[in-house]
Amino acid sequence: MIKALLARLKEGCRTGAFPPAAPSLPPEFRGRPVIDADTTEEDVRKMKAVCPVEHALAFSNGIASIDMGRCIFCGRCAEASPKIRFTKEYRLGVFRREDLIVKAGEKDYTPPRQTDREARALKGSLHLREVSAGGCAACELDANVLGTPAWDMARFGIRFAASPRHADAIYLTGPVSANMQTALDKTYAAMPEPKFLIAAGACAISGGLYTQGNLPAEPALFIPGCPPHPATTLEALLRFTS
Amino acid sequence: MTEFKTFPNEESLCEYFSSLGGWTDPEKVVPLKGASAHEVAVGPVHAGVIEPGHFRFQCMGENVYNLQIFLGYQHRGVEDEIVRADGMIARQIALAETCAGDTSAAAAAAFSEIMERAFPARFPEPAPKELALRSLLIELERVANHVGDLGALAGDVAFLQTQAFCGRIRGEYLNMTAHLAGNRFGRGAIVPGGLRVTLSEEKAQELKNWIKRIKPELDRALKLMFDNHTVCDRFDGTGTVSKETARAIGLVGVSRRASEDFNGDVMARALVRRIEIEEAHAKIAALLAGEHPCRGEARHEEKSGEFFAVTSTVPAWRGPLVHAAAFTRDGKMIKYKIIDPSSHNWHGLAWALRGEQISNFPICNKSFNLSYCGVDR
Repeated sequence: MIKALLARLKEGCRTGAFPPAAPSLPPEFRGRPVIDADTTEEDVRKMKAVCPVEHALAFSNGIASIDMGRCIFCGRCAEASPKIRFTKEYRLGVFRREDLIVKAGEKDYTPPRQTDREARALKGSLHLREVSAGGCAACELDANVLGTPAWDMARFGIRFAASPRHADAIYLTGPVSANMQTALDKTYAAMPEPKFLIAAGACAISGGLYTQGNLPAEPALFIPGCPPHPATTLEALLRFTS
Repeated sequence: MTEFKTFPNEESLCEYFSSLGGWTDPEKVVPLKGASAHEVAVGPVHAGVIEPGHFRFQCMGENVYNLQIFLGYQHRGVEDEIVRADGMIARQIALAETCAGDTSAAAAAAFSEIMERAFPARFPEPAPKELALRSLLIELERVANHVGDLGALAGDVAFLQTQAFCGRIRGEYLNMTAHLAGNRFGRGAIVPGGLRVTLSEEKAQELKNWIKRIKPELDRALKLMFDNHTVCDRFDGTGTVSKETARAIGLVGVSRRASEDFNGDVMARALVRRIEIEEAHAKIAALLAGEHPCRGEARHEEKSGEFFAVTSTVPAWRGPLVHAAAFTRDGKMIKYKIIDPSSHNWHGLAWALRGEQISNFPICNKSFNLSYCGVDR
């Protein structure tokens, strides 16, 4: 007993200063991409040739764009063409699907603010039910990380609930495999109103590398990444309710 | 280790692929009848933040008489997608990496070895330094997962100090992987013919310094748990799989070692993980000191048949991860198969729970920590 207490004292407080301080991200971190305004169709073709995801990059009406909802942030396109770069911007969570599309020439990004009153009412008490539906478990593992002392999301009142009956939102990961469709629909139906769907990771947002099943509702929060960095997830969840 | 085989026709090829085994469709529930018999159904959506699977605990009173495990909820067709993406290496490797997220680095290495052996002209054998970095990423993956699981085991017996310490320390291993590979799970780093990242002198030194700091912290966290008699009492003799059973049902990796070297209970699997953490650190130190990993003997066989297949086995953290691919003689991929070590070990979990109290399921489950998606593919 005394040994355990001494070890606890020695460990001290390990919770990071984020938030409100900026998170400590590795120098290799790949965040929100930016595309140069003068990107040509040929440049996009070069990027597409090395992109592992179908339909992540596009060129229409003379404008190049990248869909963060499909992107797995591998950075191959940035190696193939100097017209696209991945910035250190980790605040990737958005409330509308179309906001995930980054168009060429876009500058000065500010993350969108929550206007939904029902979502804002959940500030300080957001209970999530995780449904893993056909993914690779990396999103789940990095969601679990938020519960460790390093991130300690419980200090903001954000918790994973064991039952959908106790949850405000489903934290969906994975592309929704055929065999999980019924389970996901039933879990969503079992939640009391008001209820939200949060799509975390490329698979849950768009299917990512795979074909997407049916979502039970339009997601109220999209957290891109493969998997999303814990800083991205925590910031998105906090902004979702504020 | 890679193996090269040729086949005269598609039939013999298919026969070979089905002989590789894996988890087959579960049988129907076998009903348990009797006055004190009852069934507990769990899943597919579990209470924690984990993958889906359905468990049927067939109980006699408090004790589990039989556990039936139903998988397949995670099936999304990884293998077929890899075949369909033939020619798009970046897509194929991303698919292989997302077969099981916690085994990403090992999967990328397995896929790369296959392509290097199948098309040596296009993907030359990586330099020893590159092979060393691959090995390093696989070892970091091993330690991160073992640390996470030991922490989770501590949490399941309410020993919260080690749970909290290990949770934090596992995060540091992921951060270091991100520093070396650009992704917390080591994704996108290993590619056929080499790597997309290099280990500079500066980074190698950083890694050495970091290990010097983190390893004693990890040792302290684990010692605290293994020295605690109440924890040991819960682990000892719980969920035992005997050596004979382990051999008969073909367990591999951590679970097999626990039954061969120790007595096959939760404590044994925890100890094997602790030992493997030590071994992984010794290997990391050796790799950083310039030792090159050996890669098994390369056998160059005449591609005489109409089809040829390449199998690669990578020492992933759960056990041997096997990837196999079949090609036509002109290099078109026609079949891909992934056998996660979990495929063999789910039977072990079912066996471990026989005769146990149902309340022992969490620690039995964590001691194995098997992959659902790796099996469902």
